[in-house]
Amino acid sequence: MIGSLVSTGASTVTEFISQNIFGLDDPNWFMYLLCGVIAAVLVLHVIAVGALFFIWAERKIAGRIQDRLGPTRVGGKFGWLQTLADGVKLIAKEDFIPRDADAPLFKIAPYIAFAASFAAFLALPFADGAVAHHVNTAVFFVLAVLGLEVFGVILAGYASGSKWSLFGAMREAAQVVSYEVPLGMCVVIPVFVAGTMNLTTIGEMQAGWFNNWLVFHDPFTFIAAIVYFTCATASVNRAPFDLAEAESELVAGFHTEYSGLRWSFFFMAEYGSMFLVSALASILFFGGWHPPIPIDIWILEAFADPDLVAAGPLKDAVPSLVTFLVMLIGIATLVAKSVIGVVVMMWVRWTFPRLRIDQVMATCLKYCVPIAAVCFVGSMTWETLDLPSMNTINRYEIHEDWSEDLAVSTVGEDGVDPEWPEDENDDESSEVMDGEEAPIEEDSVAVQNGLSLQEGE
Amino acid sequence: MLLAESTALGSSIGAVATLALFVTIGLVFLFVNLLVGRFVRPHNPDAHPEKGDIYECGEPTIGSSFVQFDLRFYVVALLFIIFDVEVAFFFPWATVFGKSEQLSEMAQVEQAVKGNELSADAKRLYREMGVRDTSVGAVSDLTNEDVYTSSKMLARITLIDIGVFFAVLILGFAYVWKRGDLDWVKAVTEQRRLARLPADE
Repeated sequence: MIGSLVSTGASTVTEFISQNIFGLDDPNWFMYLLCGVIAAVLVLHVIAVGALFFIWAERKIAGRIQDRLGPTRVGGKFGWLQTLADGVKLIAKEDFIPRDADAPLFKIAPYIAFAASFAAFLALPFADGAVAHHVNTAVFFVLAVLGLEVFGVILAGYASGSKWSLFGAMREAAQVVSYEVPLGMCVVIPVFVAGTMNLTTIGEMQAGWFNNWLVFHDPFTFIAAIVYFTCATASVNRAPFDLAEAESELVAGFHTEYSGLRWSFFFMAEYGSMFLVSALASILFFGGWHPPIPIDIWILEAFADPDLVAAGPLKDAVPSLVTFLVMLIGIATLVAKSVIGVVVMMWVRWTFPRLRIDQVMATCLKYCVPIAAVCFVGSMTWETLDLPSMNTINRYEIHEDWSEDLAVSTVGEDGVDPEWPEDENDDESSEVMDGEEAPIEEDSVAVQNGLSLQEGE
Repeated sequence: MLLAESTALGSSIGAVATLALFVTIGLVFLFVNLLVGRFVRPHNPDAHPEKGDIYECGEPTIGSSFVQFDLRFYVVALLFIIFDVEVAFFFPWATVFGKSEQLSEMAQVEQAVKGNELSADAKRLYREMGVRDTSVGAVSDLTNEDVYTSSKMLARITLIDIGVFFAVLILGFAYVWKRGDLDWVKAVTEQRRLARLPADE
């Protein structure tokens, strides 16, 4: 029942800003640019400030795990300004390129690694509505763009002209591409349970108590979540899978020859990716921006106008300030869950010894892939046989935002839908493909349409 | 409206434009940081002739770094291409399967049909699956049962589709495993075995 209370008619950050700050209902291109820049700068802060925090946190956690104190002095208590001091030092370091290195490629590599990690954030919703750009295939987009980060690493290794760097880069390439396979298989499981690739919708489908999280959908999604996290750790190149920079064998791997600020960009990209895969894990399996206890829904219900509740989604029945407050709670929740994910990665890094390269490949191909395949088939069967699930939410009540305007049938007498996404040579194509489309055009029963479409294939 | 978000074309233009914007801002961020550093950091690459050397644990470097690397990396790359492309095909299938399952759940609790019309939620689900016309038309006695049967059948057909697809993938995987291409050390053991064979005979 919670499903009917939550709206997925999410507005983008762009629309939110232009409507609430500039009072424009129909933003023009300049507004899109301005709001795009604002969104990008906000996300940039997630990475930059996030890296400052995570590097300090990692040193603190590593210290505690190894029975030391970690940084204690800079900034007073807990040494919380340590990373900033390191940053100042890095800026003041000489930016050195070895004689044998391929200078242009050497310079480009950190740009590619960082840009890929950063651009993947554009489709990541931090809460319902708090996304830089709504992408209907957001899951796919994030995985694809994040995968480009490996190019930066390979380029860095190749351009350095050092054997250590080249070995590190080759290992990274082999490892990252191998782990994409089980990673993709694990990601497809929540996608077919939710029936959408839209991350906002997937997140909204887990509203309410924590039993609605997809990790609790069936035993197989539970295992898939664990496999996902293992593969995500490997694909962002973290210990115990950090073969590319194994300091005991390869000095520093692909960034052996890098120094100063240019070197630190690889770490910004790495911490950005860590945050991103953790956030993706939270959205796909752990309820996204919904707290385990439905505080957000209680707030919405407390402020809802009783006259409007029956008419539509709960979010439309409350003042926009309350919606904004709930969005902030959502952002805080997602960030908290992601930080937990990142901290678990750190905990793993400082607890487990590094694997050997053959063990890394065997873990992926001989363990993760078969387990992910079993989870895929198992979860699919569970869904088909309508076996009992801990999830109590009605997922069919939650829709992708683009179909909102199309909910009411707008098809005219002539069977042409004026609001359907316009295909320019629509008429010609329907004539050309007359044979295939004939059943759809002639038979107006929607139920049979769905069937005849599929059976025809 | 220049970038009509509700149309598929507008949405993809918007996505590409935002992607370009993000990439640009990312690059500018790094560039500005390096530019600021330029004014404060020392630049003295010729301080010592050995400074420009590649680091090889302090020893003088031996030979070029562009060495041949192992063939195994290529095998991994080939495996990746096959599997990853197949996994990519799962995603569009997953949305159809998930939505038809949701439709059948909806029909099971008698929410799919209201009166002689599909309910608003059912219409939206059909829209998201790509059905254009969700009006019922000439049919006079549409029931939840009809929606349940048809959506469940659609789900089962997609299940068979992906079952065949996945079986082919797994069969290939089993073959590759049996052949030993998944073993990282296969190349070495195989060579040893071959090297030993003539001597044994």
